[in-house]
Amino acid sequence: MQNLSFLVVDDFSTMRRIVKNLLNDLGYPNVTEADDGNTALPLLKNGKFDFLITDWNMPGMPGLDLVKHVRADARLAKMPVLMLTAEAKREQIVEAAQAGVNGYVIKPFTAATLKEKIEKILASTPAAA
Amino acid sequence: MMNSRLLDDPEVVACVRTMAQALDERDEEGLAAAVMAFERTRNGMVTGRVRRVASDLQFALEHFHADARLVEMAQRQVPDAKHRLAHVLKLTDDAAHRTLDLVERSAPIADQATREAERLIGIYRTLRAPQELAPQLRDFLMLIARSIGEVRSNLAEVLITQGYQDLSGQIIRGVMKLIQELEVALAELLAIAGADASGNAADDIGGTGARRGFGPPVPGIDTAVGGQGDVDALLSEFGV
Repeated sequence: MQNLSFLVVDDFSTMRRIVKNLLNDLGYPNVTEADDGNTALPLLKNGKFDFLITDWNMPGMPGLDLVKHVRADARLAKMPVLMLTAEAKREQIVEAAQAGVNGYVIKPFTAATLKEKIEKILASTPAAA
Repeated sequence: MMNSRLLDDPEVVACVRTMAQALDERDEEGLAAAVMAFERTRNGMVTGRVRRVASDLQFALEHFHADARLVEMAQRQVPDAKHRLAHVLKLTDDAAHRTLDLVERSAPIADQATREAERLIGIYRTLRAPQELAPQLRDFLMLIARSIGEVRSNLAEVLITQGYQDLSGQIIRGVMKLIQELEVALAELLAIAGADASGNAADDIGGTGARRGFGPPVPGIDTAVGGQGDVDALLSEFGV
């Protein structure tokens, strides 16, 4: 479990560091960062990531498009995806669910919420277990 | 137009009627007086028109000043506001990173102190001979272990609190984009008006809206779900 490899995608470096630190605290030291969908997608396709945590609103490729690309790629289709975003409109959450996210956490969030959602996703997705 | 205005004026009509009557009665003196009265009336109308033209000219000049204000806004104030916001963004970003640096450096120290305290507590428990200092040492080590744990938990809280930088930064970026669009629109408007406001319009950042996201909801302005509980309830409807 602790060897799981995470990719954290957010255009704000402070938020990437926060998520990375929290993942480290939760016992996941393997965390890679990317600043938008365009830089994340090649990393996902070439790397062996077990879990994707992505923001929505980013310059370049936004998070929702990244999720759609991931779900359309046969090798990545089953990857657990957590959307971690400030986007909080009802229709956006519905859209993200339809695009295939496994979890959706709105910012600002607590360490407990992030932990709970990651563990819930890991427990329910055989690909990451 | 001019004729109808003339005929609309009761004084003019009265003058003409007086002139016509003087003509009918072949009253030369009366006719001369009526012509004089007509001239006075007409002069008064011309003066009124000149006043209106002067007023229009004044309005046009004031409007010209407003255009000059637009030039000032487009050329200096809008880029200036953009730079100020960019500076705020940099300040908050630097402060957040500085805090994160400190947290990242402090956390391992707290962890090490905790481990060391726990190790000493372990050693203490194996000691058999009741030493005078031992209970105090035990209490001290336990206090250290507890308080360092609290420090560690506070550091985690400090860490997550820095998330504000992301949210405020996104809002500032949104305002900056709006200002940039305003700047471009003003420059275009001024170009149409013939005023020079070129050279300050920056590149377009890109489209907005549903695909790209709207940014953090600002209370009182944007509609949003009530919180994480609402998100969870909504997702469960989709089996997530």
